[in-house]
Amino acid sequence: MSKPQSITLHINDEDHDVRVQTQQTLLSVLRDQLYLTGTKLGCNQGVCGACTVLRDGVPTRACLTLAVDSTTFAITTIEGIVPADDLLPIQQAFIDAAAPQCGFCMSGMVLVAKSLLESNPHPTREEIREALSGNLCRCTGYTKIIEAIELMSTRSA
Amino acid sequence: MRYCCPTSIEEAVAILNTDEDARCLAGGATLVAMLNAELLSPSTLVSLRAIADLDGIRHTDSGITIGAMTRHAVVANDQRLNNGLTVVRLAAQEIGHPAIRAVGTIGGAIAHADPSADYPTALLAANAEVEVIGSSGARTVPAGDFFQDYFTTALAHGEMITSIHLANADPGTVSSYFKVARSDGDFAITSMAFCGNFDGSTCTAARVAVGGCASTPLNVTAVDKMLIGAELGSDQVTMAAQALADACDPIDDVRGSADYRRLLVKRLLPRVLQRAIDQGSN
Repeated sequence: MSKPQSITLHINDEDHDVRVQTQQTLLSVLRDQLYLTGTKLGCNQGVCGACTVLRDGVPTRACLTLAVDSTTFAITTIEGIVPADDLLPIQQAFIDAAAPQCGFCMSGMVLVAKSLLESNPHPTREEIREALSGNLCRCTGYTKIIEAIELMSTRSA
Repeated sequence: MRYCCPTSIEEAVAILNTDEDARCLAGGATLVAMLNAELLSPSTLVSLRAIADLDGIRHTDSGITIGAMTRHAVVANDQRLNNGLTVVRLAAQEIGHPAIRAVGTIGGAIAHADPSADYPTALLAANAEVEVIGSSGARTVPAGDFFQDYFTTALAHGEMITSIHLANADPGTVSSYFKVARSDGDFAITSMAFCGNFDGSTCTAARVAVGGCASTPLNVTAVDKMLIGAELGSDQVTMAAQALADACDPIDDVRGSADYRRLLVKRLLPRVLQRAIDQGSN
């Protein structure tokens, strides 16, 4: 084990000084050192999308991102987009469409949905499917998640 | 494990040459997954993210040069990659899913040299040249020589990839890519890339590459020759497809059996040719 290094990460509009190993992922720092546990550890191989965060606004895998290599980016986790004691319109749309089931994939799904709708407020079903293609849900079969994003799209008309 | 973030190619090469066990870190899509799985534990990671010279797509008189750190999403959306070079753009569009294409790089993908990955097969069909640099200077390696075995490239110790050069194709050249995978974004069971020319539905020039069916992507000169003068749907194409399948050396794995892969090779050749003709008529 090498000596930990001191770095500053820009997470949810705040600077966080942390000491990390080179091989430590951003996911590990978020969950184990900063206790931002809304970002989930699933496969740790970049396949499942449960660890999705926004890196300069773009959905990215926290498990495939080394913390030491992330110092120049603005990182946004699910905690960073949700207002205190309130819901985002996109979260309300997920609830209204009954999209969440066990909830494990939801942080990633909501961040991907938010990013998609910001760049494309009225996506086609195919565009929604493409945006969600990197996020696995083992409960719902995806239909209600797609419907939630379509619902949000109609509400922002 | 040490971490370095050099700002120039020279500095990166110097680190690679002082530390035998150092590895370049590009987008991390593959390397960090391998670190997480404890398949790899280099002494030093040389992050290439701060080297501006490695990023982006440049037009030159002789063709198009793609910097090693260019993200898949950038290649997937670059409409200058058309006609004979469309195959490279189509391959980039097939890699993983949006979150992977946002970080993964062409240099990282080909350094990994997975014969089931999308870029190696497309770059072999496009006859791309890989530009590498080491302590004794830069050199250019044709794609056909770059991929040497499973996960093994022509990179010597202390060398790194700087860019991929795609020469201008002859006028009228068309290209296409076709992948069969278990699910969208997965590695290929079998993939096929084509660059060439047609007169109507008759092939007048061909360069075919197959992925996922040997230790490297495969180009068979004899098959390319068999396709010249072949009309789509003719026995000549069927015979070329059979010869291509015979030249493959696939393995049985979780994605498919060797026999299934050979079957796919025979089925994919006519489809990849048709797709190229369709592209030319658009």
